[in-house]
Amino acid sequence: MTKTLDLGLQLVDRQLLDSEDRRCGNVDDLALEGGPGERLEVVAILSGPGAWRRRAGLIGRFAAWIGGGRVVRIPWEEVANVSAHVKLRKRAEELGLGRGDDRLRPFIQKIPGAER
Amino acid sequence: MKIFQIALGILAAIGGFVDIGDLVFNVSAGATFGYQLLWVIVVGVVGIIVYSEMCGRVATVSGKAVFDAVRERLGFRTGLAALVSAQVVNLMTLTAEIGGVAICLQLLSGLPYRWLIVIAGIVLAVIVWTTSFDWIERIFGYGGLCLLVFAVAAVKLHPAWGAVGHGFVPHVPTQSPLLYAYFAIGLLGAAMTPYEVYFYSSGAIEEQWGPKDLGLNKANAMIGYGLGGFLSFALMIVGGALFLGKGIEPEFLGSIALGAEVPLGQIGLLLALVGIVFAVGGAAIDTLFSGAYNLAQFLGWEWGRYRSNSGAPRFTVTWLVLLVLGLGLVMTGVDPVQLTEYAVIFSAVALPLTYIPILLVANDRSYMREYVNGRLANVLGLFYLVVIVIVALTAVPLLILTNAGQN
Amino acid sequence: MRTFSSFLGRMVETESGRRFGACRDLRASLGHGRPEVQAIVVGRLGWLEHLGIRRPSARPPNAVPWEAVVRIEGDRIVVRDGTELE
Repeated sequence: MTKTLDLGLQLVDRQLLDSEDRRCGNVDDLALEGGPGERLEVVAILSGPGAWRRRAGLIGRFAAWIGGGRVVRIPWEEVANVSAHVKLRKRAEELGLGRGDDRLRPFIQKIPGAER
Repeated sequence: MKIFQIALGILAAIGGFVDIGDLVFNVSAGATFGYQLLWVIVVGVVGIIVYSEMCGRVATVSGKAVFDAVRERLGFRTGLAALVSAQVVNLMTLTAEIGGVAICLQLLSGLPYRWLIVIAGIVLAVIVWTTSFDWIERIFGYGGLCLLVFAVAAVKLHPAWGAVGHGFVPHVPTQSPLLYAYFAIGLLGAAMTPYEVYFYSSGAIEEQWGPKDLGLNKANAMIGYGLGGFLSFALMIVGGALFLGKGIEPEFLGSIALGAEVPLGQIGLLLALVGIVFAVGGAAIDTLFSGAYNLAQFLGWEWGRYRSNSGAPRFTVTWLVLLVLGLGLVMTGVDPVQLTEYAVIFSAVALPLTYIPILLVANDRSYMREYVNGRLANVLGLFYLVVIVIVALTAVPLLILTNAGQN
Repeated sequence: MRTFSSFLGRMVETESGRRFGACRDLRASLGHGRPEVQAIVVGRLGWLEHLGIRRPSARPPNAVPWEAVVRIEGDRIVVRDGTELE
């Protein structure tokens, strides 16, 4: 059963949720393979500030620089389904996502009441 | 039990509706034009009811808060512009709110202003850090109910009720049309401030509403904001009855509180000041969260008080940083009441970028399933979109032409 | 490897110069494997759809089939002469 997907409208800029429904970034761009005369298919989702460089000209490059310029590549096979958001098959850490939160968490946990 | 829950939410919404922008603009409009702008409050209140019901429904059914929708619908570039402008205005508003709380605490306690800024900041931070979302809303919402003293004051001042009634009929002024327009725009901007819908939609997700709560969403929006609008009437009537023609511009929150003292004495003053502290303090937290929600939602981070402080680290750090920035700005000695005027006018300019995505997503059947906008919601939604665009286009020119209402 | 963003904004035209409009989106079919691009969505009509104003089922022809693409060069996407929107 196939359905039609407008990539820009229904896939790009969507929220990524990992297997535990944790928010772990957005679909910032897509990696495609193929070319004229052959199949063109989406092979991976690209997520991270580095992917903004191409999306908004000068401002995008500046925002990418502030954000640290990382891009995480998520192979399409890791996608469980596409609906209001994109659900992934694995946990965020396993895919290299949500690193910002993981890095900050130990500091927050030192403050009493962090679990509230 | 359900009725109880609804009542709680509504009470919190009433007290939570009035922020420093509403206080300043409603009383000033009363002081300048008497009761002539009462009808504008009605227009603004219906507008915020329509749009908060809509974005509450969108968040409940699709799990998307406003800024998720902004990025998806407007694209990355426009979304980024919307984010930056929202954050700037948010910070201005936050600064004004914290300053307002500090001023009222000073009037209540006599302690130095600077100390009270720090104390207010620490108290707000501790409350947010330790308390769950719904209790934060309740504490400030119930405390804000003290503002009902202005409703009592309005009646006790024996305003010319005929003139009051006349004020509810839309009409064009006989003199100072530009100034009238400026106040009209300000009142609409204050009633429909963007941070309110950012906060309300994220709040629906914080409270983990599901489709069974859509009735609660409607009740919250209609009764909560409706009765909050009633408080705005009271403020304008008090402003008109006491200050019109006396040459008193309520530039100070103390003057606004006088509106309750004159008819009701010391107890009136006390209730007014306490009410302002809670209502504006609650608004400060709403604004603070709004800023953190917007950034986190745009960037796809985990967010929400319901995730616990360590469950959404970047979100937590964001609101802490924003709070510190706000405190720092208040410390520079900026006048909160004056800053409020600018904050309201600039928020008005940002209104279309906020409301257009909401209307679009609310009509998207793939997100909303059978809960898409009905005809009434769309007619009202479109009508208010036109209103909002007019407000956005005329806000800054009017600010300049009337010299921020000083004319 | 190309990125989705690198397609956006490129002018889609035939070898003999007939212009269809700038690429606004890529339409793909999603089955069990990777999404496969079927068509390039062009022009302003595609943009209205992006905002969600026009529903996909009600749209007039606004896409160029991928198989008609001959080459991608500079800031253009070149398609065979005789291609029609679908």
